[in-house]
Amino acid sequence: MTTDELEKLLAQQPVAVLHRLARGRVQRHFRAGKRRLIELLLQHSSQNRAGFESDLLTLIGERQSGPTPGSSRRPGAPPGAHKHVAPRSSDTEPSDPPVSLTEWLQGLGVPAPQPFVQDPWQVEALAAVSETDVVISVPTGSGKTYVAIEAARRAMEDNRSVIYTSPLKALSNTKYAEFSKIFGPDKVGILTGDRQENGQAPLLVMTTEILRNLLYDAASGEIDVRLDTLGLVILDESQYLADPERGVVWEETIIFCPSQARLLLLSASIGNPQDIADWLTSIRATPCRLVRHSKRTVPLRAGYLHPNGRLTPLFRTLGIPQGHPGHLHPEAKHLFIEYEEETLPSGRARR
Amino acid sequence: MPPSIHPVDLISALRQKHLTPAIVFLTSRRACDEAMEAFDHANFVLPSVRQDAIAKALERVMAQHPSIAEHPLIPIVQRIGVAAHHAGHLPTWKIAVEELMRQGHLDAVFATTTLAAGVDFPARTVVITQSSIRKSRDFTDLTAGEVQQIAGRAGRRGKDHVGFAVITPSPYIDLSVLTKGLTGQPEAIDSQFTISYPMVLNLLKAHPHEHIQGILAKSFAQFQLNQRAEVLEQKLDALHIKMEPFGPRVCTDWITQWHTFDHARRHRHTRHPTYRTEPPEIAARLPFLTPGRVVGFSRGRGIVLRQYRSKGQRNSMLTVLRLESAVTECPVTSVKEVYDRTYDCPETSAYPWCSTDTFDRLSHQLDELPLRLPLLPILVSTDGEPLPDAVVQSLEDFPCPTCSSRSACQKDFLTASRLRQEQQRHTKSIQALRTSLWHRFQERVEVLQKFGYLTLTTQLTAEGEWARLIRIDHSLLITELIRAEAFTGADPSLLAGILASLAHDDDRPGAFPRITPGLSSLLGQVRKLAESLSPYEDPPLLRADVAALVERWVADPSLTWIGLCRLTTMAEGDIYRLLARTLEYLSQVQTLKTTHPGLAESAAHAITLIRRGVLEELP
Ligand SMILES: Nc1ncnc2c1ncn2[C@@H]1O[C@H](COP(=O)(O)OP(=O)(O)OP(=O)(O)O)[C@@H](O)[C@H]1O
Ligand SMILES: [Mg+2]
Repeated sequence: MTTDELEKLLAQQPVAVLHRLARGRVQRHFRAGKRRLIELLLQHSSQNRAGFESDLLTLIGERQSGPTPGSSRRPGAPPGAHKHVAPRSSDTEPSDPPVSLTEWLQGLGVPAPQPFVQDPWQVEALAAVSETDVVISVPTGSGKTYVAIEAARRAMEDNRSVIYTSPLKALSNTKYAEFSKIFGPDKVGILTGDRQENGQAPLLVMTTEILRNLLYDAASGEIDVRLDTLGLVILDESQYLADPERGVVWEETIIFCPSQARLLLLSASIGNPQDIADWLTSIRATPCRLVRHSKRTVPLRAGYLHPNGRLTPLFRTLGIPQGHPGHLHPEAKHLFIEYEEETLPSGRARR
Repeated sequence: MPPSIHPVDLISALRQKHLTPAIVFLTSRRACDEAMEAFDHANFVLPSVRQDAIAKALERVMAQHPSIAEHPLIPIVQRIGVAAHHAGHLPTWKIAVEELMRQGHLDAVFATTTLAAGVDFPARTVVITQSSIRKSRDFTDLTAGEVQQIAGRAGRRGKDHVGFAVITPSPYIDLSVLTKGLTGQPEAIDSQFTISYPMVLNLLKAHPHEHIQGILAKSFAQFQLNQRAEVLEQKLDALHIKMEPFGPRVCTDWITQWHTFDHARRHRHTRHPTYRTEPPEIAARLPFLTPGRVVGFSRGRGIVLRQYRSKGQRNSMLTVLRLESAVTECPVTSVKEVYDRTYDCPETSAYPWCSTDTFDRLSHQLDELPLRLPLLPILVSTDGEPLPDAVVQSLEDFPCPTCSSRSACQKDFLTASRLRQEQQRHTKSIQALRTSLWHRFQERVEVLQKFGYLTLTTQLTAEGEWARLIRIDHSLLITELIRAEAFTGADPSLLAGILASLAHDDDRPGAFPRITPGLSSLLGQVRKLAESLSPYEDPPLLRADVAALVERWVADPSLTWIGLCRLTTMAEGDIYRLLARTLEYLSQVQTLKTTHPGLAESAAHAITLIRRGVLEELP
């Protein structure tokens, strides 16, 4: 490859590829614009051209054929292996006309108040949690808290105590306030490393680390009475299992959770909820139930707002075109290309 | 065209299209603060009804959390109905903003993407301005899960028919990351299980060593390792089937040996064409009489140094190393036995046909040869004639020459050996996958034994008994410091300061000029110990400025929160988190009441001293 060819090839790549190439090569590359980034990469590559080119070609190959990051797992495939959502060739633009902005903005507004009716998945989850461990994986804002509250209520009515954990202290505080309002302040307590508020209450809110420590103390004989009557452990935001630093705490908590207590894992949408459920089944006394769905209760639409204030739909379709990232609205596409061209740092000839 | 939309224009555009309330996710805290400042001179004022509503709502929060009463952002939030919400703020302020948002008093909140999971309030619209996120000092692309978590805040149940995720570009945005994130499936969770020292101590406290492997096997990590192992096992099964045509399985170990055997034969064959004149049993031997081969004569044994053919002689000749380093020349016919034993003997071009080193080694090896040596089975291809008894006997040890699948084996040797190598590789990987956690556990055990927390029989020592209660990062460093009596006699402020420097993992700069001599010398000691422990545990950042800040807060009860904030460039929220983390560390030290009463008391004292002002308002 000549330098010109290399430069041209680099220019054709999305910025993401350039950033991945720059990692470990160019310091603080994330602040450079596309043009500047290409310059820096070219400069760098003069020292090890072969390695650089082969990395570039691998990255391009990956993009074209490789696993799409957001695709679902084949059963039995090793973690990390993904299958294609849709092969590229089938990702052709649909022929029907793209939505208009007016259509896109339609339906905006406040719905009339409706009586509260449980969602089917909430009913399913609540029925299951009285018998066994449950993993819930549903989109953000679906109403997982409702399941947590109802499950806690039932366990408490049964004279069993409940522990609710969240990954963040701030969330714990919010939930503590929320639960206190619902169940009455005497029924809810909070535990932090150095402080207990109403520590003997039947419903205890804490961070997952604190619960893990409690379980270790219980395992080594310093039995905490509450664990005998513990009926339900709710782990909110369980997708933290994948957190590089803290994920291990969720695993420890689940491994050491007393067998008589039911586990209720609440998680946002994740790629392999079935694996989590299968794992629980393999180590716990009763088979774990998985409750999942990926449909949002309030439908989502995506838009593109140009810096000059112009708003257009982002995709051709009204909703999000699942599995078709390429179905962009022509106007959004046009505006974004214009944006990219205009924001390239000047000083070099524009193509 | 500006590189990104002006915050005032953004909010106006959202308002005009009735897309408020909105959460605007920005790259950094600074971007959030600057967005708020952008409203300073803008003609952007809420009707007084709404201003009053905000004031009333804030009053209710203030009743519970008085620390926000003086918050500098209150006037602007009230005036414009827009607020910022990020980790630089005090938790109480964030609670206030969340409350305002939940009650619908705000049009927009500027928030950082880093805290997307902690933003537990919905809006009608979410505005996304970037495609990457700062993670441990570098920017990485948002994952599909993260994009969906962010976009998912849009659309409040019961308050919206639809939610809107609006992308507005800023420099360095990669639109495809966002479109793929929005339209794709979230990523699969991959276990991040690690084995820490406190985990080992606590496991061994509660369970006998032989049960631990079973406990580790319950981890999600092992579950996923098993999944991988199963995939490999399937491959292994497929390999077994593929290898079936390559002869009986039992002899597969011989393939490699046969290959060498065969190779030597062929190799020599080309270099030393055998002549018709030589009898078949001699001709069959020639390929094996290569340098390094042990042979027997009627009297004594020797090692072949070279094989040659000189002019005028009918037979091939050998140069042989005999006992006592004698070198003799003899015809091939004088060789009585060819043994199944060779030594490394690279040929050289001049007498004695190998290097002096090799010569010395071979002489030595010849001396050391055992009395009995296996014979090399040599198949003499004389049609019709029966094989000599000796050869038939030794063939039992070396099956290839008589093996029925020999020709297939020879033909497919390369394929078979490749399959076999693959098989070995998979078997090894499976083994590693099944036992890797256990090995990592054992490694930790060895370190803990070395430092005296565990006995050789993996019982907790007296030191291990208390050390297992320290279940935080840098636990080894902390317990070693305690054992080195680094904290003995240290007052609560010094202890808190040191623990703060261990607890703080942020590299954001914060200035604090004065460091007391006591703290400085103790920090030096900690740093030295941390360095010496670095093969076993990653050393902490050990920032002196944060240590000094916390020491000051504990040592001087008259210092107000505002006063403390003035001492540093750190944001309020960061100071709060620093103190909260220090509290966590102190509370672990506090549990050492029985073994280290003085230290525990000092920690308890530090805890009460830290908990004042804003730090008292939340559990
Ligand atoms: N069956 C229902 N019908 C109507 N509204 C509901 C129902 N269940 C829950 N909600 C409402 O949905 C909103 C979102 O619920 P919630 O906060 O529990 O979501 P979540 O699933 O926990 O989301 P996140 O991933 O953000 O934690 C709440 O306001 C709740 O009152
Ligand atoms: Mg929730």
